[in-house]
Amino acid sequence: MYDLIIFFVLMSLGYGFGRIAEKRHYKSIIERETDLNRIPAIVLRFPPPSTKPQQTVLVMGSVVISIDYFKRVAAKLRGLVGGRMKSYETLLDRARREAVLRMKEQADGMGAKMVFNIKMETASISKGRKGNIGSIEVLAYGTAIIPATMPMSVTSQSLA
Amino acid sequence: MIPEYKQVQPPEGINTSKEHPLKEFGLLLAGVLLIVVVAIVSLSYAAHLLAPFIPFSAEQKMADMFSSQLKDEPIASQDAEVTRYLQSLADRLAKAEELPATMPITVHYIDAETVNAFATLGGHVFFFRGLLENIPNENVLAMVMAHEIAHVKYRHPIKSLGRAVITGTAIAVVSSAAGGNIIADVLGETGLLTALKFSREQEQKSDKTALQALAHVYGHVEGANTLFDVLEQAHQGARQAPEFFSSHPHTDNRIENIAAMAKMHNWPTRGDITPLPAQFSDWLAETDNQVSGF
Repeated sequence: MYDLIIFFVLMSLGYGFGRIAEKRHYKSIIERETDLNRIPAIVLRFPPPSTKPQQTVLVMGSVVISIDYFKRVAAKLRGLVGGRMKSYETLLDRARREAVLRMKEQADGMGAKMVFNIKMETASISKGRKGNIGSIEVLAYGTAIIPATMPMSVTSQSLA
Repeated sequence: MIPEYKQVQPPEGINTSKEHPLKEFGLLLAGVLLIVVVAIVSLSYAAHLLAPFIPFSAEQKMADMFSSQLKDEPIASQDAEVTRYLQSLADRLAKAEELPATMPITVHYIDAETVNAFATLGGHVFFFRGLLENIPNENVLAMVMAHEIAHVKYRHPIKSLGRAVITGTAIAVVSSAAGGNIIADVLGETGLLTALKFSREQEQKSDKTALQALAHVYGHVEGANTLFDVLEQAHQGARQAPEFFSSHPHTDNRIENIAAMAKMHNWPTRGDITPLPAQFSDWLAETDNQVSGF
């Protein structure tokens, strides 16, 4: 019986904190995305010739997000019957967007106006080991294009 | 600055679901639990039907595995006296309940405070000192004894074991399929709730047979109702609730049922009380030989 009580306490803690964290995260993601839309992230491998970059730099952003207890149990139940893993969808969506945002933030700091050839990698931290809380890493990387109009000194400073 | 490329903010909620997470969770949990409960109920019903086909000798062998260490315990002389008396009472009542010779009853006496008596595999019936101390006369003791013998007669211990084994196996299979100990925890708790020791029907059936035996041996069923008063008092007096109640039907219902049965069969509810043996309370006096490990 005590196991069941502990289980429900963990479930409600996981649900409560998980919901609050997710809401806050989405709010911040949307705000920052709206702001950083001025730096397009483009998957093409080569920038158009018209850009004539003065400098190209590798930029990257990575994030590790953990699931909460509630999501884990919900996913386990979903695993019994199959279907959309709804509890994991928001987790991965947040991780991808956060990784791209961090990459853009780095590019913005360098004065870049665009990021080209962006790619993403995901890694599972727990590797499905029993008893571990599952968490995922998403890494986004690309080539930041710093235009020639930027003063040289600023660029080299931020690169240092 | 560069007109060819522009980032457009995609609409929200493309990659995620708008459904409330609790709704999904509730539906999943209810569905999975429903399937598991239905599966366990039907499996345990099947076990219930098949268990009586296990020969009683096999049941005895199973019981011997558990009770082998019990036999090695030295028995104090007072304990032996109690056991002998209880055994003779058991033999008389077993005869009245028409137990076949292949189903012998073995009575054990446990020197412990618990207000309880129980029947288990292989016709072994256990009596705790705590219960015997509260018993005023032989008729009351006979009611308990006859009730436990009836459990053995109807093979209730093997039925409930079969149910427990099936339930346990089903839970183990489901939880390993789910691959998580969380699921096992939840299902384990659900399994516990469905695996009460004996069902209410079984208790009622045993009550009925016990009454029949009482009427056969003593010519009346005096003592059957007194038993419940005794248990009720022990319940109020002792800090520990008597376990006799835990899986049994509500006492009031049982008293009503007993009265109705007695009326139906014209068994007198009043009659001469047979006293307990004179040295009975001396036998029960605490000995140094405390049996432990129950």
